[in-house]
Amino acid sequence: MSQRKSYAVGTGLFIVLGFAALAYLATQTTSIANSHQGASYSVDAQFANIGQLKERAPVKVAGVRVGQVQSITLEPGKDVADVTLSIDKKFAQIPVDSVATIYTSGLLGDQYVGIQFGNAKTYVAEGGHFGLTKSTQPLEDMLGKFLGGGSAADAIGGTYSVKANFTNVGTLSVGAPVKMAGVAIGSVASVKADPVKLDALVTMDIDKKYDQIPDDSAAAIFTSGLIGGQYVAIQPGGSPNSLKEGDQLVLTQSAMQLEDLIGKFLVNGSSSNSSNAGSNGSSNTPAGKH
Amino acid sequence: MSAQVGRENVVLQSLAQIGACGLFLLRILASIPRSMRHAGETVRQLWFVGAMSLIIIMTCGLFVGLVLGLQLYYVLAIFGGTSASGSVVALAIYRELGPVVTGLLFAGRAGTSITAEIGLMRATDQIAAMEMMAVDPIAYVAAPRFLAGLIAMPLLCCVFCAMGIFGGHLVGVSWLGVDNGTFWSNMTANVDMWKDVINSVIWKSAAFGAVISLIAVFQGYTTAPTSEGVAYATTRTVVASSIAILALDFVLTAFLM
Repeated sequence: MSQRKSYAVGTGLFIVLGFAALAYLATQTTSIANSHQGASYSVDAQFANIGQLKERAPVKVAGVRVGQVQSITLEPGKDVADVTLSIDKKFAQIPVDSVATIYTSGLLGDQYVGIQFGNAKTYVAEGGHFGLTKSTQPLEDMLGKFLGGGSAADAIGGTYSVKANFTNVGTLSVGAPVKMAGVAIGSVASVKADPVKLDALVTMDIDKKYDQIPDDSAAAIFTSGLIGGQYVAIQPGGSPNSLKEGDQLVLTQSAMQLEDLIGKFLVNGSSSNSSNAGSNGSSNTPAGKH
Repeated sequence: MSAQVGRENVVLQSLAQIGACGLFLLRILASIPRSMRHAGETVRQLWFVGAMSLIIIMTCGLFVGLVLGLQLYYVLAIFGGTSASGSVVALAIYRELGPVVTGLLFAGRAGTSITAEIGLMRATDQIAAMEMMAVDPIAYVAAPRFLAGLIAMPLLCCVFCAMGIFGGHLVGVSWLGVDNGTFWSNMTANVDMWKDVINSVIWKSAAFGAVISLIAVFQGYTTAPTSEGVAYATTRTVVASSIAILALDFVLTAFLM
């Protein structure tokens, strides 16, 4: 009987451990960990495009979480999304003219609602409404013009090498394709820092069959796709003379830093928004203006 | 039970096995109310198949989490997305690896011993003796083991998942330097309570536990009463359970997701 009792105690411990593990999984690793227990009040905001925003996505002020998205519904009869934000009671002093914006955390991250404070002396209350909103920026719109793609050149029949100096090569690596009009015509042979000019010297091997490239052509470093590798794009000039072995491309355009690009875009977007938001008074899409 | 079917006809024989297994399940379910009189036996089996499997489940869970964290870090680093490693580790473990690996380990650790034990009872005529004494062997031998497997698997799977998360955290955060806050916030943002924890971890592992213990009990109960027969039955338990787990996993994933 005592043996049976020890079984029972051990089994009980096992069951307790199992349920403890389940409780841990449920409360620490799921979205329940994000749901706030404290009192909250809900505020409405209309967006022209919510992108990938999901229910329970965070609502942030200055990057600090103040609440979450409670529900997302389509405004009946209109093509705007009605988003209800549930904000903690302790963050009760949000000016009524604040701007609600949908942001993406990181490149691959989830979207969240950011609130930039306005200057009004009155604060939003339960059932209130953010009149000024800024919709999600489809990343595709921003980056569409920098997309590229294609395969490497076959380099049958030998190559000739040309040089180009760039102030910033980004993550361009040896073997990256050299393209003209999107078609691969060669590859990058070496990327070195120039000790005198203090910039990057890129040597490219171009297929011999493309020997009619004008010698005033420009070289630019582009990125294929959002997370793709970088490549050198040759934009032909108008000179009657062709590029030859050892020539230097004078006109170059360095790699775009994605951070710079997006940062600039967002800054532009927010400044243009705040300048006309007061008169507009409803959601607008900066993406449409560019 | 499949003695009437021709030995060479594998398809018919397998079908007969599956059918007999299904009928056996009905007999077990029908005897569960009667087996409540032997609740102590169920507790003893729960100790034997559940608590005794904890060490292997925890060790394997830890290593699965460790290797997952390591592999995902290297893949995600290509895309600059190492911050997502927390959510990917959690989702991979909850949705597939947790239930499936726990099930395979459970079949190897507990399923085989159930089959061997019942098989030996059969070979040494203990089951016949029970029938003689008007003790229902289904209610006293089969049902407690089936129930124990059904209860133990979800609990073991939860422990496995928790250890896996711990392992992934250990590699990702402590070793490779993913930010601790990012790791957890990304995980909590992407793991859903119902879809991932209840539907995947709990339902899948409960289904696997029922299938494994049913196969184990059935194989032991219907074994040829020789030492060779017990050996074959034990092997069949592992093979049939593994196939059943992987096939059922596909079906359950298709339905539950």
